[in-house]
Amino acid sequence: MDRRIEDKSILEKFVEDFVLIVEKYCKYVVVSGFVAISHGRTRGTEDIDMIIEKLSEHEFSMMHKNLLKNGFTCVQSDDVKDIYDYLKNKLSIRYVKNNTFVPEMELKFSKDLLDEYQIKTRKKLPLSGLDIYFSSIEANIAFKEELLKSEKDIEDARHLRELYSDKLNKNEISKIKKEIRRLRLK
Amino acid sequence: MRDKTHMEQVVRWARFVKNNDISVWKQQVKPLIDSQIIMANRFYSNLIKTKEGKLKAEKLLKRKL
Repeated sequence: MDRRIEDKSILEKFVEDFVLIVEKYCKYVVVSGFVAISHGRTRGTEDIDMIIEKLSEHEFSMMHKNLLKNGFTCVQSDDVKDIYDYLKNKLSIRYVKNNTFVPEMELKFSKDLLDEYQIKTRKKLPLSGLDIYFSSIEANIAFKEELLKSEKDIEDARHLRELYSDKLNKNEISKIKKEIRRLRLK
Repeated sequence: MRDKTHMEQVVRWARFVKNNDISVWKQQVKPLIDSQIIMANRFYSNLIKTKEGKLKAEKLLKRKL
């Protein structure tokens, strides 16, 4: 069943417009808060988190130019070399639509095996109604419960657990939590 | 710290989402999400009209405008 609907929120349109460009250059995955929000969590957010495969400076420059051509601005700098340095140094860069302040797309390169795993196991999630790749529900729950842990994150995880209660792979959640402890909490 | 009734509402709403068609719950969530973005953009647009406001906006957004 095609679950896509046309009446999308500003946030959803923003993500879809961004993804349309990024997917021409690399594999990406949308993670964290927007996963819960696109599944009906009733809370606000101003940024969407995206992890992409590492790109060369030339490849990134091509993607960046296409983003600019399509009405996005990088808020850190106008100089593509500066922006690439952020990514190379494992920092996020942020894009907004021209003449707006929010929402922001927070983009970073995959930085370890966990990020690579999220890209490798990325999924389209029909319940969101969006034609974009998300990290798996199991990965999102694991990160929110094991690493992020704010009140908002715990509520997001609970929402996703309830929504996917009959489909969740609990062993997968445990496996990812173990990797989070090994790679991010040591 | 929010009390347990807040988490109960999170679960109640998640069940509503699970048990209803996407068009039903998206229609309810969309105005909430859109209004937050619209109001934030309106707020910052007004704030940056003065030099002082622009500095405040830069501080809030953690970036140069």
